[in-house]
Amino acid sequence: MVGFIIRRLLWTIPVLLLVILMTFLMMRHIQGNPFRHSERAVSPEIQANLNRKFNLDKPWYVQYALYVKGVATFDLGPSLVLRNQSVNDIVKAHFPKSLELGFLAMVFAVVLGIPLGVIAALRPNSVFDYTAMFFSNVGFAVPSFLIATLLIYFFALKWGDVFGLPTSGWDTWQSKVLPVIALGLGPMAYFARLVRGTMLETLQQDYVRTAKAKGLRWRRVLTVHVLKNSLTPAVTAAGPLLGFLITGSFIIEYIFAIPGIGKYYITAVSARDYSVVMGLTVLLSVIVVLANMVVDILYGVLDPRTREART
Amino acid sequence: MVVSPQAQRMRSPDPAHSGDIDVAGAGMPIRQSSLWRDARRRYMRNKGAVVAGAFFLGLVAFCIFVPIFSPYDPDKVDFSQAYLSPSLAHPFGTDQFGRDLLTRVALGGRISIAIGFAATLAILVIGLTYGSISGFVGGWLDNAMMRFLDALYGLPYLPFAIITLAIVGTVNFWTMVIALSIASWFTSARIVRGQIITLKENDYVRAATAVGARWYRVLARHLVPNTLGVLIIAIFLELPGVILGEAFLSFIGLGINPPDASWGSMAQEGRQVYRTHTNVILIPSLAIAILVLSANFIADGLRDALDPRTKET
Repeated sequence: MVGFIIRRLLWTIPVLLLVILMTFLMMRHIQGNPFRHSERAVSPEIQANLNRKFNLDKPWYVQYALYVKGVATFDLGPSLVLRNQSVNDIVKAHFPKSLELGFLAMVFAVVLGIPLGVIAALRPNSVFDYTAMFFSNVGFAVPSFLIATLLIYFFALKWGDVFGLPTSGWDTWQSKVLPVIALGLGPMAYFARLVRGTMLETLQQDYVRTAKAKGLRWRRVLTVHVLKNSLTPAVTAAGPLLGFLITGSFIIEYIFAIPGIGKYYITAVSARDYSVVMGLTVLLSVIVVLANMVVDILYGVLDPRTREART
Repeated sequence: MVVSPQAQRMRSPDPAHSGDIDVAGAGMPIRQSSLWRDARRRYMRNKGAVVAGAFFLGLVAFCIFVPIFSPYDPDKVDFSQAYLSPSLAHPFGTDQFGRDLLTRVALGGRISIAIGFAATLAILVIGLTYGSISGFVGGWLDNAMMRFLDALYGLPYLPFAIITLAIVGTVNFWTMVIALSIASWFTSARIVRGQIITLKENDYVRAATAVGARWYRVLARHLVPNTLGVLIIAIFLELPGVILGEAFLSFIGLGINPPDASWGSMAQEGRQVYRTHTNVILIPSLAIAILVLSANFIADGLRDALDPRTKET
């Protein structure tokens, strides 16, 4: 067990180095780097100074090593556009809002999606099952920008007097309701479908039949045997869901004008602030890699059979 | 697997024995059952998948034929006709430049669906190459390649798509295809590798090797063709993500340049006026939803039809 966790932790290090390397190499090929093809009239001396200041005069592997060192010490470097700000300042200013949005959306998805899937699986092919699955499919197919726009249209504008929800922002709790729902609906549908599937499968297992046959109360069979075994796979959904939430947060923050990472990312790309783009990409990738690691370890603990395959 | 000979043997009567079992001759031709016929029968039994298939084909036909027969020039600007509500002349209304939305949404669909299929194809080609090398060679190379995939697994595609568009500098059909496929091929590579590894253990592959077939012949004749089934399923598994990805990129302003439009960039235009003219964002978004929804159902139906041994994961 301890060996498994240590192996998994160690394996994360080369993965992180690789992901940072890929981002680093991609960023080096980007067009219109403010220092390499200068668009402003900058004298060669100043250009050389700038290059020296940002270590652009060194070979790429040295730059990469310096960058990795920076990431390891939680220093993502200076912003190229905003003179007095570092990427760290930007992360500190914007990341908590994205984190809160993502966390609340996840809570929304779990609290609604899992019961929905469980009830649907307990009454397969019932009206409830069909309705729940229909809305799950729709929730996954309708683009989040339409869901967000419709939510604003109805709950903030048309019936705004009743609900009193603002159309944008991220300060009062009222302003957080619509973005959280808009971001959480997709993951909720995902959870509902996943739990329904695993649950139906578990209900057909021999040990469930045995438990019923030996006279166990149905409620106890459900909680002890069925729920426990069908919710474990839901843990693995956390990985893809995180990617879903990150992608979704770009759109949702853009629509609701929430000053989070996703919205700032788009701003930074159009401002060609590449150190910020790179820093944020590395940050998001590191989060995903670490989350995958946590999920693997957690799953290894919950289901020892998978340990071998997931080292 | 899909085309595994065992499965075929079970269904199609073995010619050597059919004579004994069947009432010999009787003039009746032995009803041959092929994999594809079986698959079609299984697919047709799934009502949801059939309806979804009809919707999908209908939507594609709509996008192909409406611009041909439409009386309106999709690029002609006429401000006197701007933002008309849906009417008989303009069933979906008009946009800010007075262009007919019915015609525009069909044209946008052509671009969205074309980008979707091109990117899906790119994803499958990369996935097939990577997955079959990894699965076929095996050993340490397989191990290393899979570790590499694990590392990339779950990375959000949107930042990498945005960086890709920034690297190439311009947004057009092909750069969009590259941006959408560059960080999305991991799943398909994994599926192909799993398939190849399962197939490698089959007797007929061993037999082919045993009678002296070269490795490239085994790969080209037996392994790759037998992944066709999962690849067809994968098309419809990948398509929704790609279509939505294109829509998201266009929506945040990184899409196809005007006057060309995709569903995503049309939705982005509609977003500016959703308070007064909801139809402008609603129409292209619903088109995306219908396409994605039907592709999901088709993928489900195809999985049951072509790969009956795997259940929904």
